[in-house]
Amino acid sequence: MLQPFALEEPTSVREASALLARYGEAARLYAGGTELLLAMKEGLLHYDRLINIKTIAGLADITRDADALRIGATATHRTLERSPEVHTHFTAFTRLEAHVANVRVRGTGTIGGNLCFAEPHADPGTLLQVYDARVKLARQGSTRTLAIEAFFVGAFEVALAEDELLTEIQIPYLPAHTAAAYRKFGLLERPSVGVAVAVTALPSGVQAVRIAVGCVGPTPRRIYEAETMLSGKEIAAVRAGLPEAGELAGRAADAVSDLHGSADYKAYLVGVLLRRAFEDAYQQAMAGEATDG
Amino acid sequence: MAEQHTASRQTILIRLTVNEHGHEVAVEPHETLIELIRDHLGLTGTKKSCDMQVCGACTVLLDGRPVSSCTLLAFEARNASLLTIEGMAQGGTLHPIQEAFIACSGFQCGFCTPGMILTAKALLDEHPQPTIEEIKHYMRGNLCRCTGYKRILESVQTAAQRLASAGGAR
Amino acid sequence: MRFAKQVTVAAPRQVVWDLLWDIARLTLCVPGCQSAEMIDPYARYRATIQEKVGPFRLTVPLDIDIAEHNAPQRLIARASGRDRLLQSHVKVELALTLLEVDPQSTALQVETDVAVLGKLGTLGHSVIIRKGEDIVDQFATALQAELQKEKG
Repeated sequence: MLQPFALEEPTSVREASALLARYGEAARLYAGGTELLLAMKEGLLHYDRLINIKTIAGLADITRDADALRIGATATHRTLERSPEVHTHFTAFTRLEAHVANVRVRGTGTIGGNLCFAEPHADPGTLLQVYDARVKLARQGSTRTLAIEAFFVGAFEVALAEDELLTEIQIPYLPAHTAAAYRKFGLLERPSVGVAVAVTALPSGVQAVRIAVGCVGPTPRRIYEAETMLSGKEIAAVRAGLPEAGELAGRAADAVSDLHGSADYKAYLVGVLLRRAFEDAYQQAMAGEATDG
Repeated sequence: MAEQHTASRQTILIRLTVNEHGHEVAVEPHETLIELIRDHLGLTGTKKSCDMQVCGACTVLLDGRPVSSCTLLAFEARNASLLTIEGMAQGGTLHPIQEAFIACSGFQCGFCTPGMILTAKALLDEHPQPTIEEIKHYMRGNLCRCTGYKRILESVQTAAQRLASAGGAR
Repeated sequence: MRFAKQVTVAAPRQVVWDLLWDIARLTLCVPGCQSAEMIDPYARYRATIQEKVGPFRLTVPLDIDIAEHNAPQRLIARASGRDRLLQSHVKVELALTLLEVDPQSTALQVETDVAVLGKLGTLGHSVIIRKGEDIVDQFATALQAELQKEKG
C-alpha cells in the first residue's frame, strides 16, 4: 500500500514549477509513475505531494522543427513507438521504444519520466546520446537547453534544479549517410547492457562513429576514445578495429559486478553489442537513407 | 474532477465505466486501481500477484489499453472505460478469447489467466491477425508459472482465428 | 561486497594508530558519519551513518564491535545496523592494517566487506557497490589528510 500523499494538478509549466519551489523535497513531479510509484510502494521514497504534469496541455506533443524533432516530456513510450514522425527520422528510436519493459509500462510510462528518474538500467538515454539529443528544462519564467550528456549526473540523479521541469527532448535530424542502431541484453526485467551506435558512412569509408554504453555504469555515457579509433577509416580497417574498440568501450563503461552479471561479463557483452550495433548502423547508412535501423 | 480536502486527507470523486456499468467513486490520491477494482467494486477476478507491474496478472484494459492495476493510481481511471475479466463474457456467453483458452487448455492454476485474456484482447483489437512473434512480443510482460506458455500462445492464435471467422473482434 | 584501498601517510605508525582511536577526529574522516560515541573503550562503539544516492536516503545506526586490535598494526571491527524506513540491514566488516614503510611513513590498508540485506540490497545493488567504493576511497584519503594536517 502506498503511503498517503496529496495530489496537485497544475495546468501550466509555470504553475508546476511554482509548486516545486514551494514544497521542495516534500514534492515530486509525477507523470506515468512507472518508476516513481514502484519506489514509493517499496517504501524507498516518500513524498507528501505528487505534482501531476499530465494535466499540462501540450507537454506530450511531438513536433517537427526545421532541424530537429521535438518530443514532449509526457509522451508515453507507446506514443513514441507508434509515432510516424519518430519512425521517419529515427527508426532505431522507434524500435528501442517498442522494446522498453512491457506493453503496460510502455502505455503508461513517459520518456521524460524515464530520463528524469535516471534509473541506470534503462534504454532511451543511451541512444539519445548518440543522437546528440538535447533536453529543454523550464522553471518559472525561464528555460534552458542542455546536451543530454550533461543531463545525466549520476545514478538516479539528473541536472534539474529543484523547481525545474524537463519539458521537451530535441533530437536533431541525422545528416546524410548516417544511421543509428541500439542493441541490448538482459534476462531480468530491466536491461543489463545497452550499446548505441551512430555511423556516417560512404563507399569511400566510415567518416564518423558515435558510441554510447548504458545500463552498465551509473549513467549512460559516450565512449569518445572508441569513437576516435573507428572514425575516418575504410570499412575493412574499422571492422578490424572493432574488437579493440569493444574492449576499450567495455573498460570505459565502468561496470561493477552485481545481480546483472560480473563486471567482466558485462564488459565482454559491450564488445559483442558494439559489433552488432555497428554492423546494423553501417548497413543502414550504406543503404543510403538518412534514417536509421 | 471534484476534489475536497478533508481535515486529514484529500479525496477525488471520479466517474468511470466498468464493464459498461457507470460508477461514481471517491478515491484518495494514493489508492491504486486494483484497490478500487477489488475493494471498492468487489471485482476480484483481477489478481494482485507481484505488485510491481512485472507479472501482468493484474492487467485490466483502460480505454482499451492494458495497464498494471497494481501500480496505476485509481484516480487515473476517471472518465475512462475500464474492462476487467468479469466484463469479457456477455450475458451468459463467454467471449471467443475465453472459449479459445478453454479449448486449448491455456491455463492451469488460472492465476495469470485474467491478465492473459485481457492482454490478448487488447492485442487482437489492435492487430487481428498477429504473427506468433507479434503475440510473443506483445505478451512478453505476462508471466505464467504453470503452463510453459505454449498453450497460451495456441489459445491466442485460436482466438484470432475464431474472431476472424466470426467477422471481427467484439 | 569487498572493497579495498591502500594509501601511504607521512606519519609514524604509532601516530596513525592513535588517530584510529580518537573518535572525534576519526568520525570526521568517515563519509556520512553523523555521530559516534564510545560505549566501551577499545571494545564497543556506536555511530550513525547517513548516505544519499539521488533521492534515496539511508540512515543506519551502527553497533560497532572491535573484534581484534593488535597495536599498532591491525584492527578488525564488525558493525551492524538497520535502516527502519528502508527495512534494510547493513553489516560491515572492516580490517585496517598499518605497515611501517619507514619511521616517518606508514602504509594504511583499508579492507571492508559490506553486506546490504533487504529491499535496498536488491534494488540498489550496483549503486551500493559504487557508493561503497567511494566511501572507502574517501575514508582513506580523509585519514591521510587528517594526518598531514597534524604534522603541520
